[in-house]
Amino acid sequence: MSGKRRLRSPFALLLLVAYAFVFFSLYLMEPCAIELRVGTFAGSNWDVPQGESYAYLDHVIARFEAEHPGVKVTYQSGIRKSDYTEWLAGRELAGEMPDVFLIPQDDFNLYAGLGALLPLDALAKKDDAFALDDFYPAPLAFGRSADDAALYALPAECVPRLMFVNRTLLDREGIPMPQDDWTWDDFLAICQKVTRDTDGDGRLDQFGAYGYNWQDAAVTSGAELFREDGKASYFTDERIESAVRFANALHQLQRNQVVQERDFDIGHVAFRPFNFAAYRTYKPYPWRIKKATDFEWDCIRLPRGPEGRNTSPVQTLLMGISAKTKERQLAWEFLKAYCHDRENQTLLLSLSAALPTRRGIIEEAAPQELFGAEASGRTGRSPLAVSQVIEEGTVPYRFPRYVAAMRLADQEIQKLIDSDALEVNSMNRIQKEINDLLLK
Amino acid sequence: MSDTSLRRAKRLARALDASELHQMHDVLIIYNGMVVTLTAAFMSLTQDKIIRSFHARAFLEQLSSVPLPPVSGFFTSVGAFLLLALLGWLYREGKMMPTMRYACLTAEIFVCIVLLRSFDLAYDGVVLLVVADLLHRYSGRHQLVVLTCAMLGLYAIVDYNAMFFEHQVTPFDVYTSYYAPSARSWIHLMHTGLASFNLILFVFYLTLLIRQNHQEKQRIASLNAQLEEANTRLRAYAIEAESMAETRERNRLAREIHDTLGHALTGIAAGLDATALLVDLAPDKAKEQLVKIKETALRGLKDVRRSVKKLRPDDLEHLPLRQAIANMVEEFASSTGMKIDFEVLEWPERLRPDQEEVLYRVVQEGMTNARRHGHAKHLEITIGAKRGAIYLLLADDGEGADIAELEKGFGLRHMQERLALLHGKLRYWSDSGFTLEAILPENEEASNFL
Repeated sequence: MSGKRRLRSPFALLLLVAYAFVFFSLYLMEPCAIELRVGTFAGSNWDVPQGESYAYLDHVIARFEAEHPGVKVTYQSGIRKSDYTEWLAGRELAGEMPDVFLIPQDDFNLYAGLGALLPLDALAKKDDAFALDDFYPAPLAFGRSADDAALYALPAECVPRLMFVNRTLLDREGIPMPQDDWTWDDFLAICQKVTRDTDGDGRLDQFGAYGYNWQDAAVTSGAELFREDGKASYFTDERIESAVRFANALHQLQRNQVVQERDFDIGHVAFRPFNFAAYRTYKPYPWRIKKATDFEWDCIRLPRGPEGRNTSPVQTLLMGISAKTKERQLAWEFLKAYCHDRENQTLLLSLSAALPTRRGIIEEAAPQELFGAEASGRTGRSPLAVSQVIEEGTVPYRFPRYVAAMRLADQEIQKLIDSDALEVNSMNRIQKEINDLLLK
Repeated sequence: MSDTSLRRAKRLARALDASELHQMHDVLIIYNGMVVTLTAAFMSLTQDKIIRSFHARAFLEQLSSVPLPPVSGFFTSVGAFLLLALLGWLYREGKMMPTMRYACLTAEIFVCIVLLRSFDLAYDGVVLLVVADLLHRYSGRHQLVVLTCAMLGLYAIVDYNAMFFEHQVTPFDVYTSYYAPSARSWIHLMHTGLASFNLILFVFYLTLLIRQNHQEKQRIASLNAQLEEANTRLRAYAIEAESMAETRERNRLAREIHDTLGHALTGIAAGLDATALLVDLAPDKAKEQLVKIKETALRGLKDVRRSVKKLRPDDLEHLPLRQAIANMVEEFASSTGMKIDFEVLEWPERLRPDQEEVLYRVVQEGMTNARRHGHAKHLEITIGAKRGAIYLLLADDGEGADIAELEKGFGLRHMQERLALLHGKLRYWSDSGFTLEAILPENEEASNFL
């Protein structure tokens, strides 16, 4: 009896092993879907209302999955833009970073410094169907880290900062629409002209500009604020000083009255710098009603200083790959599909308020698509001009202390402007403070 | 009696010391395991709390690299520690090749670095554990060099990392800063306390190790003294035994000669006396008597031969000379490690036993001399026969000798005498090593030509 039982158990074991082997090999042979996780947020990056937050992403995913069978691209929806930064940091800390994710501009230095982003140079070089020259230089520059100049992210979308012009107001005042190559003097002259009391109550109720600050003047002054490596600043440069003086002159026109955003909305302000996403959002119906209801508006480049150019700062939304991703090549393919694919990027124009970062798409877009259906006709702007603005956009500073340094500078200079206390040596003092911060 | 009991007590003390050291090492490992687990658990839990309470962004900003995820970070730390302990145990207790042991130690150091990295150097006491292992076992030729290099390396790693974090808050402080100030100070107190206690344990371990090493040295010194004494006694005994054996042999020879040769000669002398009387009176009787005397003489000769045979070496007694020499050479070579070539150019025919014995003795003595006085590593023995003469040549590569001083000792005179009895000759010279040449005539006629 016991002999028989002893004999049977090895056979049972063998059978069990055989079964296990078969099941296991079947399981292995089963083509299991590769999951690619994408980190994204709801709403627009440019603080403008956006109807369908995930329209562009869904479109890219659908195309990508069709081209890559067996790949499932997933994302967690419903994360607001304000929560996204914390959500992303939490994922990073928990080791559950999405393979590909949008990088908020302020977070780029953090993740690049932590080594959480995959360097893309090697992948880009290996890929024949990809060239970095396809991107506008300014947005692409955002994706490079300040210290080792490695490319850690690709620009997904961008918006230039442009000057919005209340055309109705200018028409009423009999002032011709300024051209793209206008100067600070032109700007100041128009502002001087339009700043006045229209209803005779002794208070100014029509203004030249709202939201134009010394930084806009500095960008167009032709001078650099900082050394490339972020170890020194040039606030005592004559051109910077004249930019601040110019901002101060504009401020003085208002005679200590504070201009509100509402003043612009109801058509009492001639100029307002705005990002282009806002223009594209508010120009057409339905958002048009929320803003300027009873005036025609248009956008032109920022005015230039005596030695500067009519350049615009360009803001960029970046997308990168997690350094810990298991699907490196696939993640790269998806990143390319999102940021570089011509067809997708063309569609970005209609699905998002922002502009594509790939060259050659804006030029080919219909003006209606770019500026909104009702903008045709009277507007003198062409898609080529918009592309030109991005092409010539100022390359941003990327050194780690830039945000802190700029915050301090803005605080100090704004204080000077608000109190009209600009003196000969005030810029010297500010430069010293900034340099102290930079070298700390 | 008291001597053995003292020795036993010493041995017991030594065993106690070794086990104490072992126990201390175990304590060190267990304590470090505890601290590692505790630290890893604290960091993992804190990290998890930080994620849950939405402080991740602020937390990341304070770090210079992303820490491992909470759960896998904990298991990496604990796993790395277990591996470290296992490797340490293998290194200390395992019986393996030295190369394997070094590989083991290298792996141990590597795992230690992984462990330090896995919790961002929040606890570096494990380095001491590796140092303890290093000190414990390594005893190779370049002990001091290897030890110093390894320790400097470990120190550099730790210090480099410390330098790396110099301008920032240490990662552990980032973790503690999540908690309220009161809790934070408690955590700090515990953290430094645990590290300090580890240091105390390590110093204690070192003390034990040094004490054990010291005692070991003393023990070896005393053993050496004992050995020296025993050696001296043994040498005296050997000399005594040799002289005793010589005396005994002489006595035996005397007895043998007396019993055999004496007996026969006495008989022959008495018989001859009788024959002298008989030769005139009864010549026939005298002839008979002479036959008897001859028989006695032959018997005597036979006895002498038997006695001589008894004095010959064993191998020579029951083996042909060639085989006997080959055996002896092989035995000597294997017992001394000397390389000996035994070459026969032409083997002499019909050797007499006395010739065989002389040749055998010369080879034996020559080998011994080459080894003992010449410290030779290589010896060539050649035997040849040509035109009625037997040649035996022993050439070594040793230190040679001062020929003038040689005359007295080294058994050379003895050899010379033995050869002279058979009309042979002995020559020797010293150039590159020492060379000995013995020439022996094959028979009486040949001796005239030498």
